[in-house]
Amino acid sequence: MSLPSFQLLRPKTLDEAVALMAKHGGEVKIVAGGTDLLPSMKQKLFTPPYVLDLGGVRELRGIRNLPGDGIEIGALTTLSTVEHSALVRKDYPVLYQAVKTVASPVLRNMGTIGGNVCLDTRCLWYNQSLLWRKSCGFCLKKDGDLCHVAPGGKFCWAAFSGDTPPALLCLGAELEIAGPNGLRCTPLSEFYVNDGMVRLHLAANEIVTRVFLPEASAGWRGSYQKLRVRGSIDYPLAGVAVALKMKSGRVENARVAITALNPAPFLVKDADAHLVGAVPSEEIAERIGELAARTAKPLTTSALTPEYRREMVRVFAKRAVMAAAN
Amino acid sequence: MSDFSVIGKPIAMIDAAGKTTGAGKYADDFSLPGMLVGKILHSPYPHARIVSIDTSRAKAVDGVVAVVTGADAPNPYGILPVGHDETALAVEKVRYVGDHVACVAAVTEEIAERAIELIDIEYEPLPAYFDPVESMKAETDLIHENRPHNVEKDYHHVFGDLDKGFADADYVAEGRYIANEVTHAAMEPHCTLANFELDPYTGTLGRLTVWSSTQVPYYLQHKLSLVLEMPMSQIRVIKPLVGGGFGGKSEIIPLEIIAAVTARAAKAPVKITYTREEVFWAHRGRPRTIIDLKTGVKNDGRITAVACKVIQDGGAYCSYGVVTILYSGALLGALYDIPHIRYDGYRVLTNKPACGAMRGHGTVNVRFAFESQMDEISATLKLDPAEVRRVNLLKPPTVTVNGLRVLSYGLPECIDQVVTRSGWKERRGKLPKGRGLGIACSHYVSGAANSIIRSDMPHSTVNIKIDRDGGVVVYTGASEIGQGSDTMTAQVVAEVLGCELARVRVIAADTDLTPIDLGSYSSRVTFMAGNAALRAAEDVKKNIVSAAAKRMNCAPEEVIMRNDHVYKRGVVAGTDDTSAAEILEEKDAARGHVDGQILRGSVLQTRKEESPKEHMSFEEAVVSAIDFHGALTGTGSYAPPMAARGGKHKGGGVGPSPAYSYSAQVADVSVDEETGEVTVHKIWAAHDCGRALNPVAVEGQVIGSVWMGLGQALEEEMIWKDGLLMNPGLLEYRSPSSAESPDIECIIVESIDPEGPFGAKEAGEGSLAATIPAISNAIYDAVGVRLRESPFTPERVLSALRAKQGMKRIEMTESVDPTAPLTFREHGGSLWFRGKGPARHPLDPARQGAQAGSVVGGKQ
Repeated sequence: MSLPSFQLLRPKTLDEAVALMAKHGGEVKIVAGGTDLLPSMKQKLFTPPYVLDLGGVRELRGIRNLPGDGIEIGALTTLSTVEHSALVRKDYPVLYQAVKTVASPVLRNMGTIGGNVCLDTRCLWYNQSLLWRKSCGFCLKKDGDLCHVAPGGKFCWAAFSGDTPPALLCLGAELEIAGPNGLRCTPLSEFYVNDGMVRLHLAANEIVTRVFLPEASAGWRGSYQKLRVRGSIDYPLAGVAVALKMKSGRVENARVAITALNPAPFLVKDADAHLVGAVPSEEIAERIGELAARTAKPLTTSALTPEYRREMVRVFAKRAVMAAAN
Repeated sequence: MSDFSVIGKPIAMIDAAGKTTGAGKYADDFSLPGMLVGKILHSPYPHARIVSIDTSRAKAVDGVVAVVTGADAPNPYGILPVGHDETALAVEKVRYVGDHVACVAAVTEEIAERAIELIDIEYEPLPAYFDPVESMKAETDLIHENRPHNVEKDYHHVFGDLDKGFADADYVAEGRYIANEVTHAAMEPHCTLANFELDPYTGTLGRLTVWSSTQVPYYLQHKLSLVLEMPMSQIRVIKPLVGGGFGGKSEIIPLEIIAAVTARAAKAPVKITYTREEVFWAHRGRPRTIIDLKTGVKNDGRITAVACKVIQDGGAYCSYGVVTILYSGALLGALYDIPHIRYDGYRVLTNKPACGAMRGHGTVNVRFAFESQMDEISATLKLDPAEVRRVNLLKPPTVTVNGLRVLSYGLPECIDQVVTRSGWKERRGKLPKGRGLGIACSHYVSGAANSIIRSDMPHSTVNIKIDRDGGVVVYTGASEIGQGSDTMTAQVVAEVLGCELARVRVIAADTDLTPIDLGSYSSRVTFMAGNAALRAAEDVKKNIVSAAAKRMNCAPEEVIMRNDHVYKRGVVAGTDDTSAAEILEEKDAARGHVDGQILRGSVLQTRKEESPKEHMSFEEAVVSAIDFHGALTGTGSYAPPMAARGGKHKGGGVGPSPAYSYSAQVADVSVDEETGEVTVHKIWAAHDCGRALNPVAVEGQVIGSVWMGLGQALEEEMIWKDGLLMNPGLLEYRSPSSAESPDIECIIVESIDPEGPFGAKEAGEGSLAATIPAISNAIYDAVGVRLRESPFTPERVLSALRAKQGMKRIEMTESVDPTAPLTFREHGGSLWFRGKGPARHPLDPARQGAQAGSVVGGKQ
């Protein structure tokens, strides 16, 4: 399969990039590591007139310590760099745990944190070649007018399948976004839209530039549990992140988030109510599992049955709580 | 210790350097001046009549040189003489989503991809069949008009007296087993480059040369000749390096003929490389198989009778199907002693890509059922599963009830080895909760004793040429596909000629240069091409020996060729021949004599002839032989002996082999009872390969087989929705990654076959089939649930665990419990896609409820 023709834009600075985005707006796709976009372009899911390669914008690379404020991760920082950062590993273990499960080492060398946060939603009826999609009559998300997963509906259930966002949600991460009107900041929890087509609160002329992890969640213990068939390469079929702030054996603060089960990654509501002040136990962990399973709406968008995946959210959330606590 | 110099030594593959550095050339690495790129248009319908094709818009695209359709090559072909049911491009009908319809040759891939979208085709959809049992009920709209009820072939074999066998039994086990569909997933996608010579004055097409990723160059040459209506002598097929075949390249794949047809139309070289999705559609993998198995045993586990019914979901074309369904029955025999066998096999056509030959062809799924049932019997009768296998051993030499001749038989030692090494007796039953051990055995042919196209010609022929430079060139039609056939050939020749391996150069699989060999399938190369190479080397050696004997004034029987030396027996007093060669080497080194140039060798000889000779270098001997005999060439061929060609019953030609390999395995697994996830910790795999010509290559093959079996056991499954393959890529079709690959301890057992080259048998396929039941039996040992449907995905394991614990049933998979209603799902595997809503396409027959003849077609 060949890539469709496009004009490549290669800005050297963020200002140039923002100007090009302003100029070409809805006609441009951003490429960083290319691990998500390029296969999709070959499948003709995207045929943009312009592709903007952020690779030359050096200012968006790397992890910086902001003493007293947490850390800042440039959107172009590769997942390998995040994985191997001593800072992340020490202060934000849940992110370390999540990032090391993304795809395979080779793909992590290419893929970036910005790309993982902005990952396109995935569905077996969508991530297919042009001929394949033609032979199923296309789907709501691309070129078609019906959803094969939830027939009759006008809603796209393609699942958000990034590993790092649930971890980042647990850490209370914020995003910096650059657009024609300058920079804006948004909590990650308000960035996603639970609709497989809309996906993100991100205008066509905006670029995600940085991820901030607040000082307040530094040192929280964490665990990320990922359901997949293979020990490597696979996207998550369900993922649960748990971050706990512990003080003398008791939970002082807690967040739980899930991924790959809904069109958006979600914080599990009221998880903290069960955890804060408690000494983590099997019983509490099971309750968190119940809550997480209730938040999950898995459909037939990926391998393994939805019923199984919902069961596993329960098990994995329980295990994540116990792993984070110990 | 065996007295060999090259044989039995762990030797790096002779083509390893090119492969590991990237310098090696695969089909897609070739290009020719003026070469065009071919892109194929595939059918979006599972079953439809082609009403019209209009290629004019595509032809008008700038950069498009030719567009071909079925009308350009309407001659049918197929790998089996009984199954000539394919055309390179669809004629009149398409039979699966992905069927080949048209091809565009253009100057770039992008232009070709754009142009195929401009081919206008009107289809008339027909009712399609996706389930083999439903398909067998069909009366109208048959997939192939000459196959009533869409049954490609059915066989009903009875050997012995079945009623007596079951009457003798103390206990009879019955069960249904399902093995879902898997494919080869070879690393290299299929690729073909085709080029016609053009007469420079008239532009008339001349000879055709094809570079193709194939396991069977000779069959390709034959089918090209059939479709293109050219004499075989006008077609040259060259096989470059092949990046894995596993059976997926062991027949003619549509692109191989399409490339030639398109090159003919374009009058320019055309290269086509399948995308990974196209590889999945080309398929020819292992069919979804439904096995109803009944085994009668005595109280000690001795088998009295076996009845087996097999239904294979074969896809839209015959391919190797008739052979597959026969192997499934025939290889019930030759592993254990079974006095009475009944076999009913149905190969059924459905509107899906054709299944064909895949590593362990025809035997793997039935072996899964058989070995699982043996484990169930052992559990019921409270016997040790290893002992149950031991009481059922054959007593060779013997001919089985279904006519298979067994000579060498290393299975008893294979069982002993894995039982001892795995600590079977000490550890089994004493492992922590959730962990268990399972045992299973398997076997496979060392080449089919009867060729696909019946004839009296040898199955393998090898030629050798030696020049004055001392270089040995071996010409063989055997196809190196990564399994080590070139290295094996070089080793055999070097051993016989007593020369260094580095002297031997193997020219393989080029129909202009190399003598006919049937190709690399049914694990036949080591046994057959190996024997041919051995005979060719002996043939040429005769001439070297006779010349050397003259020079050394001795009888030919006194001439030893070894380690690049040619010498008189006893030349170094009191030492054996092995050390004699070493001593001579030291002497030569002390003398300062350097073996070297062709002509200088001759000069040296005349000078040295003054004194009587007792030994010479390999080169000197070669020069003497050429001076004495003229050209130095040899040839050898191999055909299986009549005694090994099997019974006379209908279908009796499939299954017989000159020798069988044997394997026993123990798997050590644990099961997570909360998630159903299975972890395989270790597999002990003992394989009887007769003699390991190259132990490191044997280990590679055994480990590869076990690994591939692991994939089928745990993860790999082709998922269908109304004939649409839901996972046509390596991301969603999950072959195991290195992360979950277990430790595999390979134990080589050498039974020294009386007819194999140096005693060797096959090593590439036989181990696969044991892995799947070894794992399922280990799961049973670990958690007490019996999985009768592969792969053993976490959801299947968990739902079995829940059923056992009497917990609320989760609708995760359909049961294969024989007491359950006999419904076959429309697609293999788990219920990922229980979508109840609108079917796929506005034009889809399932959605329209289309009846035959109602034209619903439209422009694509």
